Parts: sequence; structure tokens; C-alpha cells
Amino acid sequence: MSASRALVATERAALIMQLVPYLLERGDVALDEAARDFEVSPAQMRGMVEKLTVIGRPGEGGFWSLPGDLFDIDWDLLDTQDRIALTHTVGLERAPRLTAREAAALLAGLQLTGSLPGVSDSALVEGLLAKLARGAAAAPADVIVAPAPVDQVRERVDEALRRGRAVSFSYKTPDAAATTRTVDPVKVHIADGQWYLQGWCHLRQATRTFHLDRVSDVEVTDIPVTHGADPLPALFDTLQGDIVARLRFPEAVAPLLGEFLTHAEIETSGGMATATVRLADEGVLRRLAARRAGDVEILAPEEARRAAASWAHAGLAQYEHSA
Amino acid sequence: MNEASSVAPEERLVNLAVALMATEQGLTKDTILRSVSGYREQADSGASKTALEKMFERDKENLRALGVPIETIGDHADPDDLREARYRVPTAEYALPEDMTFTPAEIALLNLAGSVWSENSMSLPARSGLRKIRALGNEVDAEIVGYAPRISVRDTAFAPLQRAIEQARVVSFTYVRPGESTARRRRVRPLALVEYEARWHVYGTDVTLGAERTFLLSRITDAVQITKEGFDPSLRAGAGERALHELRELAARQEALIEVHPGTEAALRLSRRGRSAPQGILVPYVDAHILADELASYGPEARVVDPPHLRQLVIERLRAVIALHGERS
Repeated sequence: MSASRALVATERAALIMQLVPYLLERGDVALDEAARDFEVSPAQMRGMVEKLTVIGRPGEGGFWSLPGDLFDIDWDLLDTQDRIALTHTVGLERAPRLTAREAAALLAGLQLTGSLPGVSDSALVEGLLAKLARGAAAAPADVIVAPAPVDQVRERVDEALRRGRAVSFSYKTPDAAATTRTVDPVKVHIADGQWYLQGWCHLRQATRTFHLDRVSDVEVTDIPVTHGADPLPALFDTLQGDIVARLRFPEAVAPLLGEFLTHAEIETSGGMATATVRLADEGVLRRLAARRAGDVEILAPEEARRAAASWAHAGLAQYEHSA
Repeated sequence: MNEASSVAPEERLVNLAVALMATEQGLTKDTILRSVSGYREQADSGASKTALEKMFERDKENLRALGVPIETIGDHADPDDLREARYRVPTAEYALPEDMTFTPAEIALLNLAGSVWSENSMSLPARSGLRKIRALGNEVDAEIVGYAPRISVRDTAFAPLQRAIEQARVVSFTYVRPGESTARRRRVRPLALVEYEARWHVYGTDVTLGAERTFLLSRITDAVQITKEGFDPSLRAGAGERALHELRELAARQEALIEVHPGTEAALRLSRRGRSAPQGILVPYVDAHILADELASYGPEARVVDPPHLRQLVIERLRAVIALHGERS
């Protein structure tokens, strides 16, 4: 997150204008920390701070009249300790209003987070929505995120998370029998509208990810969690496995494949893309090929290719009988 | 940067903002070009007045885009005559309102809200907005743990549409309705962006049809063009809620009857959002083609009973899978 980016002049100006109230609020702050907070490199941050000291009000008669017309910093502090402190300001003391874009990004994020079972306090959310609207410099574009309904599964998982108790449930993956799991809940991920629970699975003795739509009969147990603080792999890392599959599809279809391509190697030519992905379960391939019917072709493994055809045949047979 | 006389553009922009905030009665363009550092040096090194004025116009636009409210105070006798116009920035409108504070619980929630975006186009503004709010000196509650909500914007149409909504400008794009082989060019007044069931939609007035429409971003097949034609920004008010309402109404009106095999993925997923009926599950839907995609993925686990149109779409999909995965030549 703190990786430095190439910035255009307008972005640099925006950062400098935010820097003044930030520094005033912090009193004095380490260069590295300020760089992290502004998502720039320490060298970029030093450059911005130095630049600030030649910025100020115009003087009378076309000259800088007095040093008092410019921003100034504690140079000793910067040179000897790599810390930043403002010693003089000539404006910009209070934080600027949010741009339309900034307000829209936060408002939409708030709609999603406000719908979480353990978080949603509607008065809190409503109050914030109003404040953000009032703090915006221009009307933000309406960016609406429709929340998914919160069902009992989600509520129970939330309860277990907050009480620090293991949760037990029945779990049914496609093409396998249901199993009963007891899990120390660690984190609920929401991606593309799908809810996943990551946690320590007592049955597998390892961290696992569970799609909440495949969870039923949830109970909060009295077992205190013991693996709640374990480091977690990134959400879709856990879905990787030993099966190497190759898929071909029109390039334009790639966005529709979403997280499936997170770790894929993709080659394109003539508008067609060929992706190589690693999977734990071959069964997902026939479902994917049918969901993007006519667009996604399974090239390998050969069994998965055949499975896709017979999956579709079996689906089609249902209609032929009834017709 | 090597020349001693050159002042970095960001320096000039901030100098201009500071100068315009420091004045009550406003500064004329001449005064600005003569005295504000960045212009002054260029004037001294022989830049033409026209070049400087152009630079000033661009700088004003850039500052406005950053949310700096630059006021133009014209000649009372002739408001269109800008030669003697004065420019200023009212600090009260530049800064976050003096009485605005945030509680620790609000900051904790905002921190989570600001972390949801996957792509830079929205995550950078979210964090920039947070920085401004944090600079008000608020205390912070403990972080909200246990949740990692994400919103993805993979459609390239999102960014230009958002810009067009902000600027209240008409857009044009090519849109393919599924089942129609020919793509059609649309001219639309975009009013709101809505994520519904994990898909992004733009809601607006189709100028040609003179009616409000909802478009799926994934069906826009070319780059969205922002035209020079503007529209009344007040049309945007409440548009997002209207769009959402229409999508929900549509889902409530349209129900598909699906037979599922018990214990399968299809049964599990469909029963979550449908209601059970004597012959299967009644599933509300917004778009038959998108539901058909999902139903096709269930293969033999699900069978469409009704409506016939949806059944046909699923059959076509299953046939397409077979055609693509048949014997290799």
C-alpha cells in the first residue's frame, strides 16, 4: 500500500494541500510514517516537505516580502532525525473538503460495511452518510452498492466471531458429500457479492475457506477459539491446487471470470486468451465452461474437457425427456 | 527542473490556492500573473501574456477538480466582461466545515469502508478522503476486525461513466443486448452507478428513446465516449435509489420455476434466494440471460420448468458447451 507511484502535478499539489493539516494535527511525525500515510516513498515525502517551504502568499510589488509569507518547517529536526514538524503556516490549516470522487468512494464503501451484521448500527451509518455528503466539495456521483440480505447463517457466524467461539455447521461442496465442520472463525470475506468464512478447521487441522452459501445448520459452540490469531493466506490462494488446467476464451470475457483468473498465467493472441490455472478440484471446470457456454473452452485436462461435454449432455437430457 | 527560474507546476498550483484564500476582495488576473510565484518567474523569463493566461485557466480548472472552490467576481455593470474580474477562494467552502467532527466509532467504520475497493481508481480516492478526515484530529477506536469486504470494478466502462456523472455530460457507447447479434450505439445521460448482485449497472436516460434505462457495464463493448453535451445536474438527485428500486421491482415481478435435485449445489444456492413451490423453487431474477448462465452451470442438477423463454436460453447454452467440447478434429 505504501508503494510509491508516479504522480502528476495535480496529484502532488493535492497531497501538499493535505500535508499541512496532517502535520499540524500530528505535531511532529517521522518521515517514513508520513510517507506511508500518504502512500509515497520517503524521498517523495522529503521532496514535498522541502517544496512546501518555498510555497506561500505573494508578496507586495511582485517580490516575496518576508519569510513570514512562506510555510516553514523545523529543518534541524528533518536533517538530524528524519522527522517533520511545521513551524509556520500561511494557510491551508484545515483539511480540505472531500472531492466528489473521494466522497463517492467512501459513501459506497459505507453502504457495504454498514450492512455487515456485527457492524451495522443504522444510526451510526446514517449519521456518517449525512456528514460525508456535507463534507464534499461537489455532489458525488451516485454509486450505490446494494447489500445482500443477511440470513441466519451470517448472523450466527458473526456471533461466533464476536464471542470468540468456534462455530459448527454442515458443509457441502459441489460433487462431494456434506461434512460436519467445527471451525475457529477468523475472518469473513466478501468478494463479488459472495461471503466466505476463513478459519481453523478442527477436522482438517488447517486453515480453510468456506463459502457461506454452502453452509447450513450453523450453531455457535461453547468452545473458545484457539487459532483466532493465526496468519491467514489471501482469500483465493487457498483455492489453488495441483491440477493444471488450460482454458481458452475471447479476451473480452476475462472480466466475467473474476477471481478465477487471480493466479492465472494468460497468453493472448488474435483476441483470444489462453489461461493456465492451478486448481484443487477439477469439478469446477465443467461448471465454469457451462456458465460461460460457448465462450470458455477447456483445453486441458482431457478428462475435464470430456466431463464438460457430458455435464451438458446430462443437463440437456432433462429437457429432451420432458419434450 | 535544472533551470533556476522554473517553478514546479504543483508549487504554482498551491501558491495560487494560498493566494486566493488569503484575499477577501479577490485578485485580478493581472495581479496574479505578476505576483504569484510560478507565473511571475515565467513572465520574467519572457513567456507571452497569452501563454500565461492559458496556464492560469488550466490551473483554475485543475484546482476546481481538486475541490478548491474558486469564485469569479465579475464587473457589476457587465457580468460577462471578465477583464477586471477578481478571483478568490472562500476558505469556509474550501475546508471541511468547522463544526464537523467524527467519533472514534465513526472513524473505525470509515476505515473499513475506505478499505473495500480492489482497484486503484476507487481505493486511492477512498484513502485520500480518509486522510482528510483523519487530519481533523479524531481519536480512533479499535479497528473493526473479522471482516474483509471487497468491491471490485473490473469493467473498464466504470471510470469514464463515473466521470461523466460527476460532470453531468452525455455519454455514448455501443451496447449489445444478449440475443441480438447487432450492437447498437446508445446516447445516455448517465445518472447513477449501481452494483446489484455483484454486477455493475449504469442507470440513465437513453436520449434517443427519451426513457430511463439500466445498462449492464459488462455488455458495453467499446470505450465509453464522454460527449460535450451537458445535462441538468439536478436530474441526478435520487437516481441511485430509483435505479435500485426498479431492479428490485423487476426481480419481484419475474420468477422462474426451477426443479432441483436435492442435496446438490443447485439446490443449496437457489433455495437461498428463492421460495419453495410444489414443483420446485421459485427464483426471482432481473435478467434471464444471467440466470440462464448460472442455471447452465448446474448441468443436470437443475431444470427450468417455467418460463419457456428461460428454458430455451439454458438449452442453447448446454448445446454450445457440447459444440465447443465435442470430439477434436
